[in-house]
Amino acid sequence: MTMKTPVLQMKGVTKSFGGLRALIDVDLELYPDEILAIVGDNGAGKSTLIKVLTGIYQADSGTTELNGQPANIKSRQDSLEVGIATVYQDLGLVDTLSAAPNIFLGDEPKKKILGLPFIDNEKMRRDAEEILHTKVGVALPNPDEPIRDYSGGQRQAVAIARAVRANDIHVLVMDEPTAALGPEETKNTLELIKTVRGRGTPIILISHNLDHVFSVADRVQVMRGGMRAGVVEAAKSNKQEVLGLIVGSELQEAS
Amino acid sequence: MPSAENTSMMSSEVGQSVANRNVGRKVELPWLQRYINVAGPLVMIFGLSLVMLIFEPRFFEITNLMIILQDASIFMVLGMAMTLVVTGKGIDLSIGAVAALSALIMAMLIKDAGLNVYLAMIVALLVGTACGVVNGLVITKLRVPDLMATLAMDVIYRGLGLVLAAGTVLARFPEPLPTLGRGHVFGFFPVPAIVGLSALIIGYILYHHTRLGRYAIAIGANREAAQQTGINVDKQKIYLYALMGLCAAIAGILLTGRLNAIQSTAAVGFTLHTIAAVVVGGTVLFGGRGTMFGTLVGVLLLAMVTNSLVILRFQFFWQLVAAGVIIIASISFYTYLQRRNNPDARFDE
Ligand SMILES: Nc1ncnc2c1ncn2[C@@H]1O[C@H](COP(=O)(O)OP(=O)(O)O)[C@@H](O)[C@H]1O
Ligand SMILES: [Mg+2]
Repeated sequence: MTMKTPVLQMKGVTKSFGGLRALIDVDLELYPDEILAIVGDNGAGKSTLIKVLTGIYQADSGTTELNGQPANIKSRQDSLEVGIATVYQDLGLVDTLSAAPNIFLGDEPKKKILGLPFIDNEKMRRDAEEILHTKVGVALPNPDEPIRDYSGGQRQAVAIARAVRANDIHVLVMDEPTAALGPEETKNTLELIKTVRGRGTPIILISHNLDHVFSVADRVQVMRGGMRAGVVEAAKSNKQEVLGLIVGSELQEAS
Repeated sequence: MPSAENTSMMSSEVGQSVANRNVGRKVELPWLQRYINVAGPLVMIFGLSLVMLIFEPRFFEITNLMIILQDASIFMVLGMAMTLVVTGKGIDLSIGAVAALSALIMAMLIKDAGLNVYLAMIVALLVGTACGVVNGLVITKLRVPDLMATLAMDVIYRGLGLVLAAGTVLARFPEPLPTLGRGHVFGFFPVPAIVGLSALIIGYILYHHTRLGRYAIAIGANREAAQQTGINVDKQKIYLYALMGLCAAIAGILLTGRLNAIQSTAAVGFTLHTIAAVVVGGTVLFGGRGTMFGTLVGVLLLAMVTNSLVILRFQFFWQLVAAGVIIIASISFYTYLQRRNNPDARFDE
């Protein structure tokens, strides 16, 4: 399809829960500077594939490579260390803290005073602004207010900033980012996703909504019954074709 | 002057549209927002002052104000740690028993074993901290909910105190205990208040400038999110309860010094009084939010109420009634504020 080498390549991933085969010999390629959408019916295996990628589940067989190097991901911590960041649907933010403490939560910059470790709030605030600006393309109007006062789009921006904070993030995974948002917030969030991709972080986007998928994705991987039913380029495809792959019409079955 | 009226209407419309463009933003000043919760107890302090001005102006004599400060100081120390514990969605019902137990052990070491008073005080601090660590372990490792765990531990610590000292009263301690409990600097300012105010300042720094406070907020507001970012929730909770135990021991030392006596049934009312002060000061019982300044105001309000009732010669039991009424009044006030502050109602004014 293209001569570029993938940032991320999963090959032959298989995963069973007891007798239930949730993933059967699934491949996935993610290229630099692209948004890859993963679509499929409920139970098709989208979440399981992502959980294998982020180390929450262990695959029964199959490999994951990052930039051509085998990545041995056995835990969520492993996945973070090799540069796979995830934004979950619930965002995982602390409502009573403002943007910077959320972005750096669990990894606060420190300064020593009298040998005691204090949080360097000033540096954290500056760095947070910088990350929001350069990697997410957002300037928050109210960075010092608790984020419970933020709009849905602003909260997404904070969650993404936290996910891509580290310098060596190779992949950003977003699980159903627009599922709980109104139309205006959805539009903002889709813009945000495109901006983040434009700033150099390739994205895997899981979504139910084909309109959203076609408005941002470069390629679409369709999952069905635990298998990869097909991959299409968004520009050369349409909702009908993808819908056909999702439900599995006769025509697509042959491929 | 129709033209002037027109201008003012237009400018107000412009203001309106600017406000609407910033949907989701508050218009108040940030510091006012942060301390709006403290407004309730401040108003109550003001009202109480008015009442006392009318009925008993002696309330405002400097000696009496210093007595209030001295009474409040123990609860400043306890309130500081409780603010952090409650922010982390915890609660500690054992602090009265921990204060009594650590003070008792200190007293017995001084009186019965003849130990140096400073060493005995250090032992008391260690005992209190150890009790806090045990609370934390019971909560995190045995997975007993905070409320039930500390309620049960309260009975255990109280029981241990009774086993150790039975009903005896230990009294008359060497310096520095009496000075710590009831001494004055410059001839008027209570020494324990210096301890209490220092504790609150340290608490403020812990709350806003260290991981202990930051993680307490995170755990209290969204425990799962805190866990996902790699925060060791169990460890942080144990730290919080250890700090609470340490502060309970300090309170026990101050109490011993103030009375120049201690017994196993001491400090029984400490727990509820402390929680009341913290909640009245605007720290949210559901976790994730609190202020040290609010706790100071809450502690002062409760001490003022107690003092007023004494001066006005009310029976002791009325103090309990008053404390209860104040708690209910403040919590209903916060609930009202919260409803008013929710996004749908924000532009109704
Ligand atoms: N932890 C689990 N234990 C047992 N079965 C699971 C588990 N996780 C997922 N499954 C099953 O695997 C299949 C794929 O699920 P999932 O990956 O969540 O699908 P999707 O995200 O596409 O809706 C489903 O049949 C689901 O019931
Ligand atoms: Mg799913």
